[in-house]
Amino acid sequence: MHPQIEEIFDDAGSRYLKIEELRLVAQYASSVPERMATYRGLRDCELDVMQWVADQLQTEMPQEPETKLERSITNALLMLRHCGLAMLLNQDSIVKERFLNWVQPTVEVYGTQAIDARLYQLLNQRLDQALGKQMILLSPILLMAQNALLPQKVESANGVAIGW
Amino acid sequence: MISVADLLIDKQLPGNYFAVDTYVRGDLEMGLIENRQGDRLIALPETLIQAIYAGLEKETGQASRLVLFNCGRWWGKNFYARFREQLTDYYKISPADMAMVEFLQALQQCWIAHGWGKIDLDHTHQQRGFLVVKICNSPFARLAPQNQQTSCHLEAGILSAFFSQLTGRELHCLQTTCESMGSDGNRFVLGLQKRLEPAEAMVAISDHDSIMQRLYQ
Repeated sequence: MHPQIEEIFDDAGSRYLKIEELRLVAQYASSVPERMATYRGLRDCELDVMQWVADQLQTEMPQEPETKLERSITNALLMLRHCGLAMLLNQDSIVKERFLNWVQPTVEVYGTQAIDARLYQLLNQRLDQALGKQMILLSPILLMAQNALLPQKVESANGVAIGW
Repeated sequence: MISVADLLIDKQLPGNYFAVDTYVRGDLEMGLIENRQGDRLIALPETLIQAIYAGLEKETGQASRLVLFNCGRWWGKNFYARFREQLTDYYKISPADMAMVEFLQALQQCWIAHGWGKIDLDHTHQQRGFLVVKICNSPFARLAPQNQQTSCHLEAGILSAFFSQLTGRELHCLQTTCESMGSDGNRFVLGLQKRLEPAEAMVAISDHDSIMQRLYQ
């Protein structure tokens, strides 16, 4: 759960929640059905989306060794799953602690930035098609993760940079 | 062609096994803190660590360094066995076969998850047969008596046993800088005992670079 909401419950013994605190809880609670629908959508389209991305990458980058492409795809799958969970729980620290901390140092060592940059463009484009409006919830955290891994900024497929 | 379904065949994508929020778990009512493998963890109060230092110093004097080093050796041997087991179970590869970048990542994250600070390896001297390890924000240094001596004998023992197991060679460990002496980190040099011996006496009077130069001679 979002740390701000978690903190709200720390003081239950001494007082009832303030109006603005209740508003924060209500905002999250009302967004849960949409978050769950997006999470299910992501889960269901994961394989098709990533297979399409993998096929495109192999066509566009025939010079790249398959092991390098597979590494990038595996990392992207890991990123999608962590971003999905972070979106569901509205807790972006999940992406930082469980994914970025682990993958960030390896990207530079294995030199996959060029593959990753193209992969993210293809991925965002395909996810936009597959999830449509549901991307509103997923996109900010996905872009945050992608930008953390690449020196150049990644934009969402429709060109709208969503603030984080 | 790459098959994504094949990449997902094991269901488990290798993420950060040692992420703190998933690695440490437990049931406080049962008095249990465990890691995600189910091995029991124990939380050490700062006062207990300070008391161990003070008690050992009082009872054994100079020998307390050797006692702590040997405790660390015992601890490090078991720590390596657990670390190897966890990595092999989760990543399906033993630490000795892992790519260096992934091994270092795992070790760093493991160190952080246990609250031992940030560990880093310096391979600059590897061709000469030495590995330098730097640990920052160590609780063992912070709680040690602040004096003119290095104080991470426990960690030196852990590193000695850990890297001996990893490399299959009996390695000794010499601490050259210490946070308890105002340094920016705790530096340890690992190598064969007879090659480290010439530098043992220099630790109290020389800086890290001078000690490394001496070891090169």
